[in-house]
Amino acid sequence: MPRYLIRRLGQALLVMAGVVALTFVITRMVPGDPAVAYAGPKATPEQLAEVRERFGLDEPLWVQLGAYVTDLLSGDWQTSLHTRRPVLEDLYHAFPASLELVGAGLVIAVVTGIPVGVLAARFKGRLPDFSVRLTSMLAVSLPVFWLALALQTVFASHLGWFPVAGEYDSALDTTSPLTLWTNITLVDALITGNWPIFTSTLSHLVLPALVVAAYPAGVIAQMVRATLIEEASQDHARMERALGFRETTILTRFALRPALNPVLSLIALVFAYAIVNGFLVEAVFNWPGLGRYAVNAISHSDTPAVAGVTLLVALVYVLANLVVDLLQGVVDPRARAR
Amino acid sequence: MRWHKRLLVAGIAGVVALAASACAGGQVRGAGGTPQPSTGQESTAATTTENTAENTAENDATFVYAPNLDVVTDWDPATSYSNEIIALANIYEGLTRYNAQTKEVDPLLATEWTSGDDGKLWTFKLRQGVKFHTGGTLDAEAAKKAIERTMKAGGGAAYIWDAVDTIETPDASTLTFKLKYAAPMDLITSSGYAAHIYDADALEENAEDVEDGKLDAGTGPYTIDTWQKGQETELTLKAFEDYWGGWQPEQYKKVAFRVTPEITTAWQLLRSGEVGFVQRLNPQLFEQAGMTEGVQAKQAPSFQNLLVLFNTADGPLKDVRIRRALQHAIDYDGLVAALKGAGQKASGLVPPGLLGHTAGLEPKQDLEKAQELLQDAGYGPDNPELKLTLTYAQGDEDQKLLVTLLTAALKQVNIDLQARAMAWNAQWDQGKKGGQDIFVMYWYPDYADPYSWFLNVFRSADDVQFNLSYLKDKEIDAAIDGLPRLTATDQLAAHQAYADLQKKIIDEQAAVAVPYVQTYQRALSADVQGYVDNPAYPNVVFFHDLKPAG
Repeated sequence: MPRYLIRRLGQALLVMAGVVALTFVITRMVPGDPAVAYAGPKATPEQLAEVRERFGLDEPLWVQLGAYVTDLLSGDWQTSLHTRRPVLEDLYHAFPASLELVGAGLVIAVVTGIPVGVLAARFKGRLPDFSVRLTSMLAVSLPVFWLALALQTVFASHLGWFPVAGEYDSALDTTSPLTLWTNITLVDALITGNWPIFTSTLSHLVLPALVVAAYPAGVIAQMVRATLIEEASQDHARMERALGFRETTILTRFALRPALNPVLSLIALVFAYAIVNGFLVEAVFNWPGLGRYAVNAISHSDTPAVAGVTLLVALVYVLANLVVDLLQGVVDPRARAR
Repeated sequence: MRWHKRLLVAGIAGVVALAASACAGGQVRGAGGTPQPSTGQESTAATTTENTAENTAENDATFVYAPNLDVVTDWDPATSYSNEIIALANIYEGLTRYNAQTKEVDPLLATEWTSGDDGKLWTFKLRQGVKFHTGGTLDAEAAKKAIERTMKAGGGAAYIWDAVDTIETPDASTLTFKLKYAAPMDLITSSGYAAHIYDADALEENAEDVEDGKLDAGTGPYTIDTWQKGQETELTLKAFEDYWGGWQPEQYKKVAFRVTPEITTAWQLLRSGEVGFVQRLNPQLFEQAGMTEGVQAKQAPSFQNLLVLFNTADGPLKDVRIRRALQHAIDYDGLVAALKGAGQKASGLVPPGLLGHTAGLEPKQDLEKAQELLQDAGYGPDNPELKLTLTYAQGDEDQKLLVTLLTAALKQVNIDLQARAMAWNAQWDQGKKGGQDIFVMYWYPDYADPYSWFLNVFRSADDVQFNLSYLKDKEIDAAIDGLPRLTATDQLAAHQAYADLQKKIIDEQAAVAVPYVQTYQRALSADVQGYVDNPAYPNVVFFHDLKPAG
């Protein structure tokens, strides 16, 4: 096990080193002068020179790379050209909101995806199976931007059941201010017992979380269906049938547990994917998360911020993969040998 | 069973680690980061009781503005040079304010002014009884300190004060500017950037609080309530009770800026009544806004126009006949029609609402004339093909439209236009080296004066910055240099000089084509009265002017 652990950690570090090099290239190789991007189009040559010196833009490239890596490790992820604050600080405000949204989306996806997958497997080849497969296909293939706009127009704008956009009613900031502990609004509202913000966030969360949930729910449902059907044809299922268990019982009580193993690793992968996929959802619902930050950064040619988002997302990907691999190593000894 | 438990433990460990890593240590949101008791209603409680003290018809509503970009990047009124103008223009005031409808300068912190010595001496009389948000009183000494601090900081648009030699304060209510060269100080003091009068001492002493948006030192009707960078509701303002202009019960005492980058989302928020003003709509939504109950759509020309700059120094366009042919090849009417209201046809270099705007300079497409000119220059349908390069802004749909129409039109006269969309930095870098035949860009002034179109874009320069037509003409330079003095002393003559210059640059030199002036397309809630678009202060809503309808 330790050797497996070390090998996987080494691989993860290698990937991160690659991403760091890539983000460095992004920040230095974009056409145009980064000093101009910071100082604005009408800056004087003196202002530009000052900016160049402040950010070390006049040093040779390899010195800059060295400084970049040292800075990253010491927690200095450069200063955003647009917000003019440390990128890490910006991310630390934006990322928790994304986690909140993606977390809620995944909960919905798991809670709906697994039972629906079981349902499809139980009635394989019949109407429930057919409709599940059709809806999950739709959920996976509908463009998330379109889905977000459609839900917003119908349920928020026309029916008025949910708020149009935002994380919570900002007027609550003055009537019942929220004390931050985790920066995840819903969690903070819960642990500090701030019910007005909790309920407001919950109602704001429904529509975007549903959109985020669509893709993972579809994938999970299909995966559960497929693995369950495979599991139900195994020897143990045959024996359970011979013992007189009903088909539903066989699926839920005996086949589901082994079938969930691959679903688990799928969820972790889908989690990282959902964060990026959530960028568009955040744009439509004005969710103050990583996506909105990234879109803002890109539209301002804010390369340090773009690099910061890239690094963070890469880190989440690598971590999610690492955790899954290690977990599978714990669960399934065969994985360690792979 | 066992792995379930392990998973659970791992999951909990993960959540705990995450929470710990994201731990914000008990800060209170909306209070500028200062911990407050969880009941913490002091700030709002204070304002609401003040507001509701006497009058029952008090307007308790918050006016919500939906900008499409972050609001504040720089809180210092000396160096601010960005989007925050939409907030700062309501917090800070200058000596004067430009009125785009009358094309004149209106009094603000100064009540009257005179100029002498051929536009090199300006005397402003200050308004009495003006209080700073910091508690101090405005007098000539304070105004002088503010302007000198801005000049010294030298950031943002501080260059507007370049003409100032010395500032004197003969008495507490008189401010005298002695200039190095003639300049229209009444226009300059109306600038939306760098012309704010503020309590300079308070800003210096509380620099950190100012940077964090906890304190401002203006004289305007509103003052900062809360600022949370990166949050959806980034900024809220509250009424400054001692405002010299006074308060009517129906005026909005609270303002919020709710950052909404997605246009369709902003539109939905407006329809559902959650916001009161949307800064920018696209033509489709704008048309819809005009037909939607509860919403009013407003349209006004901006001070920003599109310039198609021809390379007069190098390449085939050195030949003025080809430049003229290109001017004739642009489908101006088709372009404006395709913009569906996002732009209106330009008449010369100076947009309407500014001194020097001249009617009757509207261009028209004339392909026959273009062909004739090209034939003359040895190109055109029966001659060798002419290859031209053009650069324009990446991601700008309006510019792309121009390029598409122009490419098609030029094809008919045997010109192959190779257009390249580029990020501004890259486009500009290449432009400074003269790397293209045609350079497309927007231009706008920093204050309500057309001078910058001429000084920055068409005055000859060895070190090219914005002179991207590379025009070098001594006569034009001399005329440009005479503009500030004329503007300061003789508006009529200045107008004539601007008109003549435009004819020279556009008709004689054919250095540029100006297809259209951008139009602002705003939408606001139907129950709001008093909104007037003032392009001198782009995207600014003067909230003190607004009141609920009925």
